[in-house]
Amino acid sequence: MKVKLWGTRGSVPSPGPETIRYGGNTSCVGLTLSDGSLLALDAGTGIRNLGLALPEEPTRLHILLTHLHLDHIQGLVFFAPAFRPQTEIVIWGPASPEASLRDRIARYISAPLSPVEVRELPCDVSFRHTPETEWEIGSARIRAASVAHRGPTLGYRIDDGGSSLAYIPDHEPALGADIDALDEDWISGFALAQGADMLIHDGQYADAEYPDHIGWGHSSLSHSLSFARRTGAKRTVLFHHDPLHSDARLDALGAEARERWAATGGRPEEVELGVEGGEYEVRAPAPQAVEQA
Amino acid sequence: MSSQSQRPLELILARNLMSALSTPAFLVDEGGILVFYNEAAGMLLGKRFEEVGTVGPEEWGSMFGPFDEGDEPIPYDELPLVVAVRNGRPAHADFEIRSVDGTHHRIEASAFPILTPHGSQGAIAIFWPAEGEGDSPDTTASRNGTGA
Repeated sequence: MKVKLWGTRGSVPSPGPETIRYGGNTSCVGLTLSDGSLLALDAGTGIRNLGLALPEEPTRLHILLTHLHLDHIQGLVFFAPAFRPQTEIVIWGPASPEASLRDRIARYISAPLSPVEVRELPCDVSFRHTPETEWEIGSARIRAASVAHRGPTLGYRIDDGGSSLAYIPDHEPALGADIDALDEDWISGFALAQGADMLIHDGQYADAEYPDHIGWGHSSLSHSLSFARRTGAKRTVLFHHDPLHSDARLDALGAEARERWAATGGRPEEVELGVEGGEYEVRAPAPQAVEQA
Repeated sequence: MSSQSQRPLELILARNLMSALSTPAFLVDEGGILVFYNEAAGMLLGKRFEEVGTVGPEEWGSMFGPFDEGDEPIPYDELPLVVAVRNGRPAHADFEIRSVDGTHHRIEASAFPILTPHGSQGAIAIFWPAEGEGDSPDTTASRNGTGA
């Protein structure tokens, strides 16, 4: 499974000279599965560049939305493949008792916020609520589960060819709870991330910033690291950077994250901050030789 | 794929809220199993949740009751928590429960279901001392006099 980070920023696009290395586009991760199937995790402004990178030939693409906050859907009307009739797009997202996924997204893709309406998109687009149980897309098995954030919000786990990716970009598992003390089954998002080969997780706040943002739906660095340690994720990419965090600030946070991870027994290279344009290949762990007694 | 069982988010958030309350509160899952009670409830019962753990209705009944005014056990099916989780409706009742030292506390309990897009995930019950029994669980009068 190939992974590319097209947008790593949280809350609002923040382009400029101070964010040029980590990037200013909001949440979007592109996945190419082992059978060639294409997935996009969220449709923040990063999905615009993902669309420009796709060929114009007939394409089928699945977009898995964690939730409908603007920084996760804002790129939809700037996604070039959506304006090609030969494109088929399936958009998955959380159910709500209030309205269908299509109707909720249409509140954004409609006047006066958008020059086009959903019904005017020339592509073949459909909207599906994520099932309660695992389902298949191409060669992958997908699982979605509600996680602690503001409003109906999902995290995803994608298992493909023996490798696994967990994607929980907006997450406050420590809201009213001590992650280090709770039993595993009482930790929001635990089952999604347990033992994942790669975990892309909310890392919005430095510890000193969190007290002023309790209940906003995001993690402090300590919470992110605790969550990664408790779930046993093999590699953690901190994501959804605060728009006020410059490259220099993120460099410092990354160094602190690696240092603290190493202090708890991990290898520093197992934790990093997501960089726009960053590419990974998530592979199943190599089989371990069995020592003979 | 992960095999770890996971509590529904709504129960996780309910537990987190209850942990911050000074009012005794109990949480059951969709099967009516007691999965958590908070510190205030632990003070009322005389035993912390961590010492009791997840318990089914029979075990719960043998430990803590509840009982009616005639000291008869109240059928499990009639408890507000069970009514709430089974019927998806709020429920209220007053009865007595017994703490581990044998003290009986007369309380009122209000329970409401935790309904989600995927159906009922459980219920929460909040307890108060019954009218005339004191202002807080700590001052609840006991029938045998040891808890007043």
